[in-house]
Amino acid sequence: MIRQKVYKTSLASLHPSLVASGNTENKDDSPILIKYRFSKGYRHKTLDTTLTKARVAGEARALIRCLRAGVNVPGVRMVDAAEGVLGIEWIDGKSVRRLLPGGAEEEDEGVDETLDDIEDVDHLQEFDISVGEYYQMMGLIGTEIAKMHLVDIIHGDLTTSNMMMRRTASGKPDLVLIDFGLSYQSSLVEDKAVDLYVLERAFASTHPDSEPMFQSVLDAYQTQTGKEWNAIKKRLDDGECTSSVQR
Amino acid sequence: MDLFYFPHLAPDRATTHIALFRNVKNAAELRKRIIAAATTEGEAGDAAREEVNFAFIDARLITSRLHLQTAVYQSLLAEAQNGLRTRTVHSEVLWNLNPTNNITEAIRRYGVSDATTSLLVVRIDGGNIPVEEMQSRIQKVVEGELTPLSKLREITDWTTIKKYHKLASELSVKAAQGDLEKETAVIDNIVTIDQDQSLLRDAFQSIVDLNWKAISLSKLCVSTSNNLGTIVQ
Repeated sequence: MIRQKVYKTSLASLHPSLVASGNTENKDDSPILIKYRFSKGYRHKTLDTTLTKARVAGEARALIRCLRAGVNVPGVRMVDAAEGVLGIEWIDGKSVRRLLPGGAEEEDEGVDETLDDIEDVDHLQEFDISVGEYYQMMGLIGTEIAKMHLVDIIHGDLTTSNMMMRRTASGKPDLVLIDFGLSYQSSLVEDKAVDLYVLERAFASTHPDSEPMFQSVLDAYQTQTGKEWNAIKKRLDDGECTSSVQR
Repeated sequence: MDLFYFPHLAPDRATTHIALFRNVKNAAELRKRIIAAATTEGEAGDAAREEVNFAFIDARLITSRLHLQTAVYQSLLAEAQNGLRTRTVHSEVLWNLNPTNNITEAIRRYGVSDATTSLLVVRIDGGNIPVEEMQSRIQKVVEGELTPLSKLREITDWTTIKKYHKLASELSVKAAQGDLEKETAVIDNIVTIDQDQSLLRDAFQSIVDLNWKAISLSKLCVSTSNNLGTIVQ
């Protein structure tokens, strides 16, 4: 079910008079991503407004908390909770799903991907990760998730589609977590373990032979979390997360 | 002089003029003038208010063009939805820059003070007034050296910004320590929209509203958050 629409736009543009005078040093037209949670006709109107408002504010708050904690997430550019609009930094990169084997075949959500389909060459080359070095990327994933969990943010929808690889200004590959639409705040070991479990399932269902890759996600996660790891691991190994996924 | 242009907004709100001044000499006098304009009544008051109908912002506390732009944009949004927390769209810019909800604090910190030497002057309007005309109007009230907005980085006071936004102990800033360029980039990205507390308040208010409506709608006693959860689903 479609719950929100996504657009690429810019907050401001170059003023016509500046364009005419050739003064284009200010890049006011840098792109942002707009998430629009449109009004749902099947919901009572007041309920719809309050829910939308709370969700937009909640997503913005989670992003700000992550930014403060140094987790790589898109920066917030505008918040219009009343109308259900959230504007965030445009991440110029590729989803991890498309970079991993088996993930490129079907892409049924998100922005229009047709532009990217022109060349289906080895995307990993662009990020200096050769085919044999998936593990480096897995390490980045584990580290970012751990940093997020350390400030008690639960993503709620960790899949390889919700992670993007981009290049930083220095040329170093950078992993960015996106889509905090289902995120919430919790310090419970259970919730963190469920977050990881959801990702494990996502790996298993989208990418063949992903078990060793997921293990290196966990290794990096362990290094970053430190002493909290044991409790989370225990919970994850119990395999009882399955029941609580149906939240 | 510089311009922000929001082509999708109503024509009378699409353009914002920005002027950056260094070596401002009349800050104390300017502050008195703004206060006097706000308290004068009648036609003389209207004229006095029009003369200082700008947002005067301490330029040390602005990290980038984008930082100012988002604050202006959020103020325009609030105005369009009749949701201004302060009296004018210009004072709303100051409120949006301040990370807390306190209007007095926002004006004291981000507005013009007697010690201000670097000033950003912002005017939101329809762009009917030519840039030259706007510049001369601004220069009638501000005595200082007009500087291109691209020089803002030389003015920004990162230490004070870290203090106001409570960033010193944040992991993101700590991780970037020693690498000035990275640290400033991290701070810039955070402060661009750092309305944590106001967002918190909005969200909390929504939950209270929702809870109250749930009670009145179903005539059930719904007071715990657990019950609220089931209704939401």
